[in-house]
Amino acid sequence: MRNFWKASVLALAATTSLVGSSHAQDKIKAFLSMSYIGNDWQGEAAMMVRAMTLSAAYKDKVEFETQVAGPNAQKQIQQINAMVQAGAKIIVVYPISPTALNQVVKNACSKGVAIFTYDAEITEPCAHNVHIDQVAAGKRAAEWLAEELHGKGNIVYFSGVPGTSTDTQRTEGSLKAFEKYPGIKIIAQTPGMWSQAVTRTEMSKILATHDWKDIDGVLGQAGCYTIFSMQDEAGIADKDKKPCSGEGTNGHRLQMLPADAKVEGASGTYRPMGARSFSYASPPVSGAYAMKLALELTLNGKKVGHDVIVPLPDITNANVKLCKEGSFAEMAAGCNVQSPVLVANPGWFAEIYNSETPEIGLNAALTGQPEM
Amino acid sequence: MAFLAVLVLLVNGLSTAPLGYFDFVYLSSGGLTLAIAAVGATIVILTGGFDLSAGAVIALVNVVLATHLGDDLASQVFWAVAGVLLGAAIGLFNGFFVAVLRLQSIVVTLSTMFIIGGLTLLLLDIPGGHVPESFSNFFVGSAIDDLFPSAIVVVAAVVAVWLLVKNTRFGMAIYAIGSDQDAAKAAGLNVVLNKLGAYALAGAFYGIAGVVVTAQTATGDALVGEPLLLQIFTAVVLGGTLFGGGRGGAVGSIVGAYSLMLIVNILLVLNVSAYYSTVVEGCVLVAAALLGAWSTPGVRNWWTLFRQRLAPMPGTGQGRPLVSLISQRSDRRSRSAWLARNGETIRYISPAFACFAIVLAITALFMAPLSFSYFNSILLLSSFLIILALGQGTVILAGGLDLSIPWTIGLCGILAGGWLHGSDAALWWTIPLVLAVGGTIGLVNGIGVVAFRLPAIVVTLAMNGILQGLALLYSNGTPDGFASPALRWFMTGRFAGITPVVWFVIAFAIFGLVLLSRTPFGRRVYAIGNNPRAARLSGVNVDRTTVAVYVLSGLCSAVVGILLTGFGGQASLGMGDIYLLPSIAVVVIGGTLITGGRGNYIGMIGGVLLLTSLQTLLAGTTVPPSMREIIYGIVVLFAVVALRERTSH
Repeated sequence: MRNFWKASVLALAATTSLVGSSHAQDKIKAFLSMSYIGNDWQGEAAMMVRAMTLSAAYKDKVEFETQVAGPNAQKQIQQINAMVQAGAKIIVVYPISPTALNQVVKNACSKGVAIFTYDAEITEPCAHNVHIDQVAAGKRAAEWLAEELHGKGNIVYFSGVPGTSTDTQRTEGSLKAFEKYPGIKIIAQTPGMWSQAVTRTEMSKILATHDWKDIDGVLGQAGCYTIFSMQDEAGIADKDKKPCSGEGTNGHRLQMLPADAKVEGASGTYRPMGARSFSYASPPVSGAYAMKLALELTLNGKKVGHDVIVPLPDITNANVKLCKEGSFAEMAAGCNVQSPVLVANPGWFAEIYNSETPEIGLNAALTGQPEM
Repeated sequence: MAFLAVLVLLVNGLSTAPLGYFDFVYLSSGGLTLAIAAVGATIVILTGGFDLSAGAVIALVNVVLATHLGDDLASQVFWAVAGVLLGAAIGLFNGFFVAVLRLQSIVVTLSTMFIIGGLTLLLLDIPGGHVPESFSNFFVGSAIDDLFPSAIVVVAAVVAVWLLVKNTRFGMAIYAIGSDQDAAKAAGLNVVLNKLGAYALAGAFYGIAGVVVTAQTATGDALVGEPLLLQIFTAVVLGGTLFGGGRGGAVGSIVGAYSLMLIVNILLVLNVSAYYSTVVEGCVLVAAALLGAWSTPGVRNWWTLFRQRLAPMPGTGQGRPLVSLISQRSDRRSRSAWLARNGETIRYISPAFACFAIVLAITALFMAPLSFSYFNSILLLSSFLIILALGQGTVILAGGLDLSIPWTIGLCGILAGGWLHGSDAALWWTIPLVLAVGGTIGLVNGIGVVAFRLPAIVVTLAMNGILQGLALLYSNGTPDGFASPALRWFMTGRFAGITPVVWFVIAFAIFGLVLLSRTPFGRRVYAIGNNPRAARLSGVNVDRTTVAVYVLSGLCSAVVGILLTGFGGQASLGMGDIYLLPSIAVVVIGGTLITGGRGNYIGMIGGVLLLTSLQTLLAGTTVPPSMREIIYGIVVLFAVVALRERTSH
């Protein structure tokens, strides 16, 4: 035991001196507290947040670090507290729970830390939330599908992760919209967990007891790429594919392009199909936008409200358009799906455009390098 | 305890500013939920059981409190007490099935987890509710303003309760039952009553944890408990309580819980990349277990033991067994006694198939006529679990447990996708290489269990964390590989009318059946599971067989990783997570004893078919997710109760 103590004290002394030597600079400290890592959406968002802190306007004024809490709210509470201890001025958060972080956030605010969330919300009034209107998103996706089916047909609905506010709000919006269309019948409703893999498993289960012939359309918070791919595998011709409303992955948007469009690098089911679809998504670029607002507030005193609602992407077959290189200027001119040569992963989220963030282009989302 | 003190000093030393009182409050309340929940889990583990319902109970109490708490003191006291009693009631429910009906705790609490999880979602499907500030302050505020956090008082109270209980007859009975249930019974202890009490007490502690988490987060969230489960068991192991029962204590678990939390803080302060955090946690787990093992004299000279173990065992290799029990048994075979010999086995495995038949009947009646494509779909969807069940099942038959399955699948799938990158030509080297990776993971697991004498749960849990880190590092957070056309065809195409993987899985099942029931390897596995000492004496190389069992499990996980990548077209991080609990559940539902030695692969396949057909039935409806979980839990419970009815006669 004595040796154990001795070793620990030595280790302690060594690490303390190490940390002591890296003294503070005059840059402000900004942190990103993520919840999950390991899905495309979160990965891209983190890249773009980083790119924002590296852009010309801010890179000399801010020191940036990322931490991941996993799915555990307790851990995120500790994490945010540790960031405050470490002298944070800005904390951008992907909150695991809208309410569980309230106390720690309140404490951080009282120490002058700017707290910004993206995609999800924190109800504590001193936090700033950058997100889409989830109820409206669910409503719009359902309305598009109902109109596409002329108000009549059997549909399958894939919800998100049960028990989250995003899922509950979107589902509420969708179900309410369907009330106006008595001819629309939901024949199966199952959690898709916002995952292409889960959607595939669940759809396979549904197809064990229902046939494609009996399904007229699909509404999915995520998973339309998989739904069109599965129709392809079942041998359904492009023109006969059932419509799917929802989600904004690059694979899905590519499938929405006219079937005769020539796209370099397209292969398998990651190809133009003229798939009838409506595509929205909570944009992963919101993280970078939240960071920009936080930097502007902290460095230049630009005031922001509690809620910053970003516009809902509204992509249909009429306005889906392929980008050549994915620069901000090109996206500002109206393109909204990236080339499969540059984005090999069909599950990658295509919604990286925000008119307020000229720092962010395809490069920022892929490699964390800003446009300017 | 010293470990904890060092960690506190480390956090203090490393922080840019010295810890203030506010940080002290946060540190003490941050680990409170975990610590109290770990106390509950410890009690169940001391009796020799295993409780998966902890997280679900915490979430239910949290949601009930957040939706009912009023602003007046009376209401707050009432609901806090009600929360604890609710936990105790669920504990009693578990205890009834475990103690009275003598069902296996792991599968009972798994069912409870689903049922309670569903109920919680029914109560509150969106995080919210109302928690008055006074309620929060009482538990996680300050007992004396700016001087003494309430959380310390709560921990002290929990420790006091535990020490009181430990020194009663009931407390000693818990240890006695965990050490040797039969001996305890022979000594005149009422095993049933004491076990019931232990589960109820554990439930009450989960209830307290639920009250505390409500105070700490000031909100209700149905998902609050789920991520706690693994941490609870890590804390228990860190605290020195042994799985299998009889040894350890709740104070250690509390220290373990706080140590875990401080490790997170240290990683934060040192700014260790998030990718490494699960690796570090895994290593800490192994280090703590080794340190704990060190204190027992028998293990201190493990190197000597290790060398002895590597030396050839008497009676292995070319040598003749000392006692040839196994071959004698096979001499007694006679065709006419087939039913007599296998009657017992049939009784164990029939409930799973009977329930499967019932689900099929319901599907046919209410959903759609059972077509050829229905069975194709069921077998396709079952294929992953059928393969995993062979690995997990063999490990369990040999008396172990493999918790590294999720990230072995994840890492292997990501490697497969990354190396294939859509090329069929790469299949020829990718598949053997990925299988080699899976086998190596199993090999390391096996060596950890055999050479270092660590509990299988610790080794495989730590391995799971390390693999998660490796997968994140390799993929840099987002896997970008994808399956090749041939692999995709294998999982989604058609060959002679059915999906190719279905042919494969049929062949695999036959292979598994033969492996476990008709080969020397299979007989050794059963021998070890029944009694490792007896197996060793009768000439089984226990160590080599144990390592082989984990290698088999690693290989099975690797196969599933490749198949899942083919099925989805690409691999995703965490795609193996949903297979861990089902892989254990199907093994137990199929009639296998979780402590090893008894079970049959056919039964496990029955378990897989039952679960898959049930999920398929539910997926094709508009039954809400909450009700699904409840139905799922009830069916699993029903299946094991049915199993018990058959086995008791």
